[in-house]
Amino acid sequence: MEELQRLSSHLENRLSDLAAARGNGTRIVGYTPGGYLPEELVLAAGAVPVCMIQAGERTAVESSEPYICRWIDPFCRAQIGLATSGRDPYYSALDLLVVPITDNHIRAIADVVDYNTDLEVFPFGVPHMKEPSTFQYYLHGLVRLKERIEALTGTKITDEGLKESIRLCNRERELFRTLSTLRQSPGEAISGSSFIALNHASSVSDKRFMVQLLESVAHTVMSQPRRQDNAPRILLTGSTLAMGDTLPNLIEDSGGAVVIEEFAEGIRPYWQDVSLEGDPLHALAEAYFMDRVAPAWFRPGTERQNFLIRLARGWHVDGVIWYQLLFRESYKTESYYFPDRLQRQTGRSMLVVESDYDQSEAGQMKTRIETFLHIITGGTD
Amino acid sequence: MAFYDRLLELCGFEGDDIEQQRPRMEQVFTTIHIGPDDMPRVEERVRRQHDLSLTGVRRLLRAWLLELADLVLARDEGKRIVYYGYPSIQGPGMAIKAALGEHSYVGCPDVVLCHSVGLIFDALTPILETAENRGLPAGHGLCSLQQVRNGALARGIIPVPDLVVGSSYYCDMGSKADELLHEIYGHPAVYIDGSMDSRWGEFPGYDPERITLMGTQLGKLFSTVEDVLGVRVTRDCMRETMATNRALFSGLGRLTFQMMADPVPISAVVSGMALNLAAASTGRFMREGPETLEILCSEVQERVDAGVGIVEKGAPRVLNFAVSFSDPEITHMMERAGLALAASFVTVPPAKRDPSLSFETLGEELAEAAMRSGAYHSTYGFAKRFAQAARALQMDGVIWGYQYNCRPQALGSHLFKQVIEEEAGVPTLSLEMDIYESRSYSAEALKTRVEAFAEMLRARKVLNQGGR
Repeated sequence: MEELQRLSSHLENRLSDLAAARGNGTRIVGYTPGGYLPEELVLAAGAVPVCMIQAGERTAVESSEPYICRWIDPFCRAQIGLATSGRDPYYSALDLLVVPITDNHIRAIADVVDYNTDLEVFPFGVPHMKEPSTFQYYLHGLVRLKERIEALTGTKITDEGLKESIRLCNRERELFRTLSTLRQSPGEAISGSSFIALNHASSVSDKRFMVQLLESVAHTVMSQPRRQDNAPRILLTGSTLAMGDTLPNLIEDSGGAVVIEEFAEGIRPYWQDVSLEGDPLHALAEAYFMDRVAPAWFRPGTERQNFLIRLARGWHVDGVIWYQLLFRESYKTESYYFPDRLQRQTGRSMLVVESDYDQSEAGQMKTRIETFLHIITGGTD
Repeated sequence: MAFYDRLLELCGFEGDDIEQQRPRMEQVFTTIHIGPDDMPRVEERVRRQHDLSLTGVRRLLRAWLLELADLVLARDEGKRIVYYGYPSIQGPGMAIKAALGEHSYVGCPDVVLCHSVGLIFDALTPILETAENRGLPAGHGLCSLQQVRNGALARGIIPVPDLVVGSSYYCDMGSKADELLHEIYGHPAVYIDGSMDSRWGEFPGYDPERITLMGTQLGKLFSTVEDVLGVRVTRDCMRETMATNRALFSGLGRLTFQMMADPVPISAVVSGMALNLAAASTGRFMREGPETLEILCSEVQERVDAGVGIVEKGAPRVLNFAVSFSDPEITHMMERAGLALAASFVTVPPAKRDPSLSFETLGEELAEAAMRSGAYHSTYGFAKRFAQAARALQMDGVIWGYQYNCRPQALGSHLFKQVIEEEAGVPTLSLEMDIYESRSYSAEALKTRVEAFAEMLRARKVLNQGGR
């Protein structure tokens, strides 16, 4: 796909583009993934949002060892390793790191990076239940964040400016929805790895570039014939799918087709638009906190489990691969009882794979995936 | 004479007392699978691990055994049952107990099991192994306290509660483990949510919205108690409880102060048993606590007055984060290494409430107190409280024995040492531990690091004295 080549070129130049923008006085605001930072706030202030989504390899995890013990999820340890190394180009490009505190693993990033680096960290809370009091708390966090971004950029965030950035981000979400919906029907409209690459790229790329690129991708995908194959259709879900994670390729190399993904971190939530009616900050809180399907660290995790069942049915999947990172207890706990529920309600099976970002895992993981794909397609030998 | 009579005597039960409790204890021993064959081992353990020359120690063991019986038999005895999570902020459990009255069991079952089935009987392993096959497997850093609760429910040792209260404002694991149990047993669960999102360095300040959120969440808890159990938890309940408990907390304060004597008069195992009874129990702590603490404090005072201690006078004085709930050998190992475990996190109480503050609800009052404690404020607040205590008490060292599978503690594995050493100038040992069960973190496994730390503190003391 020609668009992916354009994207690759954009990403190759992204760091130098950010450096040039910073040189011209534009502020770069980094944030941890999880879908709770409305990029609209950053964009409306004329700053550039960058999601710290890179991980998946061991070196960054090992770099965190002087700062934190091993019992924290490897993605979060990788972020600590990258931020404290002083050598990561993305972290080095930041003026501010915003950390929506979703669980204690993410809180580790905020605390350790704040204490051990000069990077300014702005934590704000994401409660774990959808209730009026928790909504107010999240909204209050957005108000505080808005004030901090205004102070950082020297730009007043106006309602009109916010609505303009909401329109832009809604368009991006709409395009991701379009691409995902195309994957409901049989035959491959766009491969899972390509969709994931686009979604990941949207975390770091220029927003207007990304929207134009997605429009082009959607047009191409809709105008070309689908590739017909019998690859088992997979719903890939879990805690974190980082830019650098090899699992999607591992599944495709093993003969599976990832047709839909649901992740707490690493896949930008795109199912809900932000309303353009009323107070835009309130609308952001509604969409990002109340409407967004909650990750497993919400208590209870029923909403997401119901959503997974709907995805499994709607995308006609043959099986679910549940990818969790080691020590992320919310996902580990749910992985015990969700397979039964999935089986009862959809007749589908689930494979749980777990990673500590250790290269030695790949071989074993591939064997397990191959076996799972073999089983769900009716293999007996 | 039953096979367990001698054990009960060792644990402070007396003639009539044993007869009165016999039917209950029979049932308890059957439920936790302790029989005649276990007794020589258990009796030897109790004699070896506990200073039975002190009546107060025996009475403490008795209180924990009675708490175990109250827990195990709660359903059979027709009580309404509420479990809360550990750690929990001070107050809600006791207020619920006050509202429910005597015919209820309100407590933290896993902590009770650690201090009884673990600490006295050394019989936690089957419970833990059951949990490992019921959704909380080994090797994934899942909370061992939650494994104890999970395994005990699965084995029918503790009853399914009428309501579970999750400390969602602190850790993720407790709430998710409660959710797992809800999936299995279907009992109602209420989560007190919150967000520890204060900026580094903000303690003791905080965003007032945190009080509003947590206060509202605590209000939700009290409403749920009313809906599920039909009783109202009011400010009057809380005040009544606090008034009743004033003597108890004063006793605990006295014991804590006595631990500061040189030489340190008793093992930290004892003070840990007393402090945790207050944290986990709303029943026996109130009923047995006053007299037990009075006896214990009097005995300890005699030792202090006589200059008797369990380590030599002048031994390095250490602020120890927490003692093992189930394995006294770990604490004894530290003491055998020559460390005076003179202080704990609670030795220096949090700052008093700003009198200019007033709150509309009981929930907000409790939430404000939680903020001042530091532990529920932030990693920085927690570490800062340690640093302040280490400095104020002129400690020679700090053992930050963090619970490896407790994320709020594990994320401070290195930060606590950094903050305490930087702000208080007190050498700190960051010691990865499991205070709930010691299969992987036994005294032997930790010994080398503790001994090296003790050696360093002794050398430092000599050096400092020489320099004066």
